[in-house]
Amino acid sequence: MFVATDNARTPGRRRGSRSAFASELLRTIRSSLGRFLAIMGIVALGCGFFAGLQMTGPDMRIAADRYFDGTRLWDLRVLSTLGLGEEELSQISSVDGVGEVMGAHTVDSVARLKDVQLAVRISSLGPSAANSSFHAPDEVASDDPSYLNRLILRSGRWPRSSDECVASADGALTLGEGDKVELLYGSSALESQLEGRIFTVVGTVSSSNYPYTTSFGSTSLGSGSIEQYLFLAEDAFRDDAPYTEVYLRVEGAERPECASRAYDERVGEVKGRLERLSASLASSRRDELRARAQEALDQKKDEYQSQHDEAYGQLESSKAELDAGAQRISDGEAQLADGERGYQEGLAQLESQRRDALTQLDEARSQLDQGQAELDARRAQWQSGKDELLVETGAESLEDAKAQLENQQVQLKGQRGMLGMLKLFQWQVQDLTRQLEELYAVDPQTEETAAQIAKLEARRLFARAVLDASGMTDEELDAALAQADAGAERLAEAIDAADQLISGEAELKSAQDQIDAGRAEVDRRQAEAESQLSAAERRLSDARTRLDQSRRELDAAREEHRAGLASWQEGKAEADERFGKAWEQIMGAQRKIDDLELPDIYLLDRSQSEGIATYQADTRRMDSIASVFPLMFFLVAALVALTTMTRMVEDDRIQIGTYKALGYSGAKIASKYLLYAAAAAGMGAVVGIAALSQLLPSIICRAYSVVYAVPLMSFPLPVDLGKALLAGGLGVGVTLAATLAAVLSSLREAPATLMLPRAPKAGRRILLERLGPLWRRLSFSWKVTCRNLFRYKRRLTMTMIGIAGCTALLLVGFGLHDSLWDILDGQFGPIIHYDATVGLDSSANELDVSRVVRLLEESGSAHDLVRVQQLNMQAKGTEGSSGATETTYVSVVVPQSADEMPHAVSFRRRGSKGAVPFDEDGVLVSEKLALLHNISAGDTILLFEQDDVGNAKGEGHPLKVTGVVENYVGNYVYVGRRAWASVSDERLSFSTIYARVDADQGVRDELSSRLHDVRSVSTVVFSSETVETYRSMLSVVNMIVVVLIVAAAALAFIVLYNLTNINIAERVREIASLKVLGFTRGEVYAYVFREVLLLSIFGDLLGIVLGSWLEGFVVNTAEVDYVMFGRSIHPGSYLISFALTLAFALLVMLAMRHKLDRLDMVESLKSVD
Amino acid sequence: MAFIEFRDVRKTYKMGDVEVNAVENMSFSIDRGELVVIVGPSGAGKTTVLNMLGGMDSCSSGTIMLDGQEVSAMGERELTQYRRHDIGFVFQFYNLVQNLTALENVELASQICRNPLPAEEVLAEVGLAHRMDNFPAQLSGGEQQRVAIARAIAKNPKLLLCDEPTGALDYKTGKQILALLQESCRGSGRTVAIVTHNSAFTQIADRVIHVREGRAQSVELNERPAAAADVEW
Repeated sequence: MFVATDNARTPGRRRGSRSAFASELLRTIRSSLGRFLAIMGIVALGCGFFAGLQMTGPDMRIAADRYFDGTRLWDLRVLSTLGLGEEELSQISSVDGVGEVMGAHTVDSVARLKDVQLAVRISSLGPSAANSSFHAPDEVASDDPSYLNRLILRSGRWPRSSDECVASADGALTLGEGDKVELLYGSSALESQLEGRIFTVVGTVSSSNYPYTTSFGSTSLGSGSIEQYLFLAEDAFRDDAPYTEVYLRVEGAERPECASRAYDERVGEVKGRLERLSASLASSRRDELRARAQEALDQKKDEYQSQHDEAYGQLESSKAELDAGAQRISDGEAQLADGERGYQEGLAQLESQRRDALTQLDEARSQLDQGQAELDARRAQWQSGKDELLVETGAESLEDAKAQLENQQVQLKGQRGMLGMLKLFQWQVQDLTRQLEELYAVDPQTEETAAQIAKLEARRLFARAVLDASGMTDEELDAALAQADAGAERLAEAIDAADQLISGEAELKSAQDQIDAGRAEVDRRQAEAESQLSAAERRLSDARTRLDQSRRELDAAREEHRAGLASWQEGKAEADERFGKAWEQIMGAQRKIDDLELPDIYLLDRSQSEGIATYQADTRRMDSIASVFPLMFFLVAALVALTTMTRMVEDDRIQIGTYKALGYSGAKIASKYLLYAAAAAGMGAVVGIAALSQLLPSIICRAYSVVYAVPLMSFPLPVDLGKALLAGGLGVGVTLAATLAAVLSSLREAPATLMLPRAPKAGRRILLERLGPLWRRLSFSWKVTCRNLFRYKRRLTMTMIGIAGCTALLLVGFGLHDSLWDILDGQFGPIIHYDATVGLDSSANELDVSRVVRLLEESGSAHDLVRVQQLNMQAKGTEGSSGATETTYVSVVVPQSADEMPHAVSFRRRGSKGAVPFDEDGVLVSEKLALLHNISAGDTILLFEQDDVGNAKGEGHPLKVTGVVENYVGNYVYVGRRAWASVSDERLSFSTIYARVDADQGVRDELSSRLHDVRSVSTVVFSSETVETYRSMLSVVNMIVVVLIVAAAALAFIVLYNLTNINIAERVREIASLKVLGFTRGEVYAYVFREVLLLSIFGDLLGIVLGSWLEGFVVNTAEVDYVMFGRSIHPGSYLISFALTLAFALLVMLAMRHKLDRLDMVESLKSVD
Repeated sequence: MAFIEFRDVRKTYKMGDVEVNAVENMSFSIDRGELVVIVGPSGAGKTTVLNMLGGMDSCSSGTIMLDGQEVSAMGERELTQYRRHDIGFVFQFYNLVQNLTALENVELASQICRNPLPAEEVLAEVGLAHRMDNFPAQLSGGEQQRVAIARAIAKNPKLLLCDEPTGALDYKTGKQILALLQESCRGSGRTVAIVTHNSAFTQIADRVIHVREGRAQSVELNERPAAAADVEW
């Protein structure tokens, strides 16, 4: 059966039915090789791509798993903030399920190597590294089963002494044998772990612990990323240094693949057990450290006590001495004061005595003088009285004068007596007269009166007579009487005066004697007083001298005492301080011991190892790309199969009708086509899967090997049978389904109808015709083309999708290329203007920074300096935000002056390139970070400090984001000074300097070396180095672009060839007729190819859309947290993708031209069949 | 001088190792304005004659002249131009472009030649003024063939070459078509050549060329050709 064929070129050979069937099939294949190959090709592409991409992720994981197992990489890692000791090691190894255990020392440090400074991670070599042997390409054998994380010695030898090391063979900066590494400063553990600082590289190694070569891990030092790792011999570490971590392998975790569910479960199980143990580990570690520290401290305390006692004993005795001295001084002082007081009193006394004596003497003298003066006066008076008297009396002497006077007196007295009598007679007369007058006045005069008168008269006459006898009148009498009285008085007086003069002379004499005696007395007393006083004076002056002497002595003693006291006080203060400090230290140490908290025990599995996790994440990315990419191929494969098989069935209409008429079952008839399709698809699947499941993973792995140090697997790569079968099944299934659909539609028709040529597909008006003027202007061939486009919808779809796929693939390739190179081209130049970063270590002060600034300014080759504070932190959105829940490592940059920042970095939006304002209150977030955490302006971002292990600490500092800025490499948070104040009030030193430096390498080298000479300069990084590193990483992309271009070309060729083939085959008569009508070759090509070309252009345009989307997907999937890919495809890439697809189309047309040329016009005369 | 002249034309096909002479020493001539019927049984070589006359194939030897041009000496490019401008071809199976309307199918031809006749007029001439905007699938066989004839005529060719123009048509329609062809010859003085196996058609011809075994067996001139309507077969 099926022997009958209308194909003249392959005469049938009659054989048995089974082989006839086969030969019929073979013949059909041979006769329609193009069609067969088209199906095969597209299925091969579809299945191959699907299988290849699907297997890439798993292959990468297998490669890693083999590498990890081959180097016996840890499954779990135990870290403690207080280190770990042998005790903990044995505790860990006794846990059920824990296999080999290895303690290790690891410290981070900033090292200088090859004139650059970067962060390195230094670990201890396993104990038996030197005895291991390296089996290609991912296995290291060793007799020591507990030698974990085995290193592959790539060159050189193992370290033999404590100042030798082996360095990483992977990574951007590789060291060679003989290179020196100098450790500058490091994390807190550096001092306690390592003694040496300079090491010589003697070999290079690969460590499976560091598969990610771009960053071997993160650290709080330097740029935040570990750029080199070193391994030192165990004896390079201090003897007493505890293990910083313990690596262990989980029993039974070797068999399941790393990161597989089985592996995770097994490791998780043991991890759980270890987690339960971690409290005990922590307390055991704490107790051990506490005991050890207490012991040391107690010893120190004893030492302190004895020294303290001794010192203070000495101080006390010298103090007692000083006190005694002081007592003596104060006694002396009292005495001195007494003496002084006595002296002063004596002095006062002397003075008062002197004064008294002098006063008395003066008084006496003045009395004497007065007496003398009086005396002299008296004498003068006396003399004058005497002279007067002598003159008066004319006597020779006073006694004579007196006697004369007394004579006169006696004479006078007689005179006076007589005068006195006369006077009495006078008064008698006067009295008698008055009595007579009174009696005369009495009227009647009585006899008595008369008698009386007579008697009285008589006496009066007598008295008168006497008076008259004297011859003197009354008045004369009175005057003589007064004269006598006065003379008497005068004489008495003169006698008195003479007497007085006589006695006065004696008196004067005695008074003079008295005075003279007084004078002598005074003189005597004065002499006496003077001698007394001078004696007292002498005594006092002696006392003065003594007092002065003792004062001087006392002053000296006091001075001495003061000096002694001062030095004692000094000694005391010193001792106080010294011992106080020592005690404080001791107490501090004690407190520390007492407060020694339980260490944090970190239990990490491989998923928490940055490198391994990054690798695994990349393989997962591969998986997700693999799940989308090949869909297009399958779709196209299905369409190609459908159109091709439909065409085939159509071609065989009459035959099918004949068989049907002859009574063959539908299934039997269909089986031919199904078999044909199955054969094509099956072969395609096998070839495609076999080739691409090796090729694609190996190309992609090779590409990734720029970033990952996971050894490439040797061919043949493992083929995942399940995936291969799935891919093949899908490919064959899709083709068969398409075939069945085509066959069934024909089989449904009655044989009679089948025998007749199928009515040509009716022409249809299309929408375009409504546009009359335009339509009328079109030439017939355009009209035909336009109508044809919509006439065969299936073909249209197939072609469009195929071509779109082709363009999309190209666009993805070129777009990926753009996106990746845009990382560099977008970042360095347009955004980051500085090309040098000079960092000073934390010890730097303002002076150091300004020195560096001056050096840079004076160099002339650096300008646009901007000082910032750069901090390695972690960031996260707030609780409510829908972004990532994990924190992201960020560089926080706080510029000294926000205004200067634009010199170093442009803040702008990605799309519009519009500037984003930044001031001292500003908080700008780089775009990738914003995307990761779904942050936009106005949201709040949390910044966390990180500990040594790289974990976020604390609750996080909230900052209000004021803008999101374009950025590609790294995650940055730019914070203004005022805004930063809310995070920390610690003074910032702004010890990182961004600068633009002339591009000349010589200038840079010189500047770099000069900067490194400055104290506390820790890093000098030129971004050209960074850019170079990225560039080498990105060369990977070119390979992927090539793969995509090849795939795209293959797709385009298959689709276009198939389409054109069918187009021609289906319109042979039409084309022949046109030829007969006199169409030139060109017109015929145009007639046929214009349609293909139009479809290509439409597909191309569709592909641009599809490609943009697909590229976006791939970029989003492939992107890592640290980097944002460029988000725009360059116009050039659109153009080239578009053009390349068209070029493929044109190439196919060129190839198909001869088919049109060969087409016989005679075909036009044939009937439709 | 004759309008068309075949002189000692030979056409040899290679079938594997065997050379087959489809036409041998074919000689005849046709005058301008004649309705010629080339008649012969299957395999006689009339299709080969048609091919060579229509410029679809070249002869192995001999000379073919049309209106003073030596067709037999033309290269492929010249042959294309020859087909384009000088020949109007009517196929047995009409060979209309399915995706073009009747009018467009006519225009398809008229657009490529130098002095085309207005397509609408030609269509009206063949009686299809009312079906101009129909697609071939919407037309009957006769109508389709009329479109085909219109397409050939619109080119204003020197020679209207028809290959079994009624072969796919029923009798009545065939007759109408035949009449149309005759009319187009008589009315406009166009030279029309009909290739057929049906000897009944000879009655309407001015000149009948009998072809047999690759040769022009005889050439008859019909003094009084019958009207197509009167022909019976």
